[in-house]
Amino acid sequence: MFRGELFKVVRRPGIWVLISVLLVLAILIGYAITWLIYTYPPPGSNQGLPPGTTLADFKVALYPQNFVRQTLSQWGVLGGVFALIVGVLMQGSEYGWGTIKTLYTQRSGRLTMLFGKIAALAVVVAVMVVALFAVDAGASSLVALVDGKTISFPAADVIAKAIVAAFLIFGFWAIFGLALSTVFRQSAMAIGLGLAYALVVEVLIFGLLGGLGGDIVKKIQQWFPIANTSYLSESFGSIRVRGIQGQTTPYADATHAVVMLFLYVAAFTAITAYLTRTRDITA
Amino acid sequence: MITAVVEAPIRRPLLPGVGGEKVVETRGLTKRYGTGIVAVDSLDLSVYRGEVYGFLGPNGAGKTTTLRMLLGLIRPSAGIATVAGAAPGSPASLSKVGAIVETPAFYPYMTGYDNLRLLATYCGVKRSRVDETLAEVELTPRAHHKFSTYSLGMKQRLGIAGALLKEPELLILDEPTNGLDPQGMADVRNLIIELGKGDRTVLISSHLLGEVELMCTRVGVIRKGKIVAEGTVDQLRGAATLAVRGTPEETAKAVLIDEAGAENVTALGDASFTVRVDLQRTAEINKHLVDAGVAVTELRADERSLEDIFMELTGTEGGL
Repeated sequence: MFRGELFKVVRRPGIWVLISVLLVLAILIGYAITWLIYTYPPPGSNQGLPPGTTLADFKVALYPQNFVRQTLSQWGVLGGVFALIVGVLMQGSEYGWGTIKTLYTQRSGRLTMLFGKIAALAVVVAVMVVALFAVDAGASSLVALVDGKTISFPAADVIAKAIVAAFLIFGFWAIFGLALSTVFRQSAMAIGLGLAYALVVEVLIFGLLGGLGGDIVKKIQQWFPIANTSYLSESFGSIRVRGIQGQTTPYADATHAVVMLFLYVAAFTAITAYLTRTRDITA
Repeated sequence: MITAVVEAPIRRPLLPGVGGEKVVETRGLTKRYGTGIVAVDSLDLSVYRGEVYGFLGPNGAGKTTTLRMLLGLIRPSAGIATVAGAAPGSPASLSKVGAIVETPAFYPYMTGYDNLRLLATYCGVKRSRVDETLAEVELTPRAHHKFSTYSLGMKQRLGIAGALLKEPELLILDEPTNGLDPQGMADVRNLIIELGKGDRTVLISSHLLGEVELMCTRVGVIRKGKIVAEGTVDQLRGAATLAVRGTPEETAKAVLIDEAGAENVTALGDASFTVRVDLQRTAEINKHLVDAGVAVTELRADERSLEDIFMELTGTEGGL
């Protein structure tokens, strides 16, 4: 079933367009535009910065030694949204095109089909993550070359761990998308709600509650997915900019984040599997 | 409501008929939705190896729901079913069943060939079957065009090719000519007739009477989720009668009773009669009427159309 799912994904232009857009944005937003702003700062842009610190000091974030932190901090949620859409498309389109009934009238059982799809989704997410890191590594090297800085990457094991962490984060988003499209049996509603959650719901709720102060909000927040993607990203350290004090350590550690994200992945997989197994296909 | 369950026909020697091998069997199959709607109500259905069985009924009668239950797409609320010797939807059953449910659904961004290759991967059949089935449905010239560019007829043929990939014992086709133009309908119909010629069993649902009449060896009529009649088209139609009109009426009646027996003659008024009699005796009866001085103004075989039966059984108008 995995082979079949991969066969479909490889031939589906939408998936590759989505990944390409993510990579282009990674270069444009993550490096090109940022570098332009830091190199040619608009008048008055240094206001609010500590004395002696300029926007140019932030360019350190664009150099290879920081590309892992930069990639994780920038794309944990935004890149995750792309993974969510991939997850939605891979499952929701089956309902939209009616191919779900074609699939389920072949030889294999429904759950075998589902796990084949999840395996193929994992491959797509892995390709997405590796490509993102490769593009960011290339872009950071180019920035360093242009600025005449030495190209010095983090240790290989750090890069490997970061790729695994990003895979888990993106994987969570992808399976979230898959589950949403299974629940709603369509893509549009799943993408809408997924985006709303990723960009508004959790951030907004805890942003507002944070205004109340106190530790209780953080205690609750630590059980929510986006908070845990942040803890995991932040576990790779923060970028040190001259004149700016280092950021506080994450509320929960990487182990907590990994366990929580695994639990979310398992829960969404279980929900999807239950619905897949028990629901009537009337489309 | 008329319920007529008659013996299965003998379409080929040693093949179907009561006591033959049942490829599809349901007992008390029921689908009840939470809204209280009973889509299929205690359905008992037997389809025998080698027959082309037409599942006939108006829209909303429960045909598609039944077929979906036979394929494991919908779980029954009650009752049991066996399809190709196994539980519906189980890998053992599905490996022997090819199906199209309503419109054939494929991936629009892939070619017809790639869509079938994908199905071949899922079914575990050799890739060479893809070329064979494409040739069988005469789609080879368009095999490498995207599915989204196919006409409705081509999509339907690709659906049939997909259903044939596994070389199934049983083909389940839900309204296979739906939406096709007359030429497309004829093409698909001829294809199904060809497919039904071997040992393969074909179960077709349709609301088109003419279609069923042309393709099927046995027909089950479904209404409000229940089978209301079952048999060959001829059996459903019943014996043909002779329509006679002649004057003087009393003389004509006496002659007809003498020829066919009082229980087989029905006076319709206006010197018209229907006579249940062997139609091969038509000329002989005509001679006796004329010899008795009856002026015969009408004498014809009166065969009920399948449409009449359909309307009678389902309380609706036929699809054609």
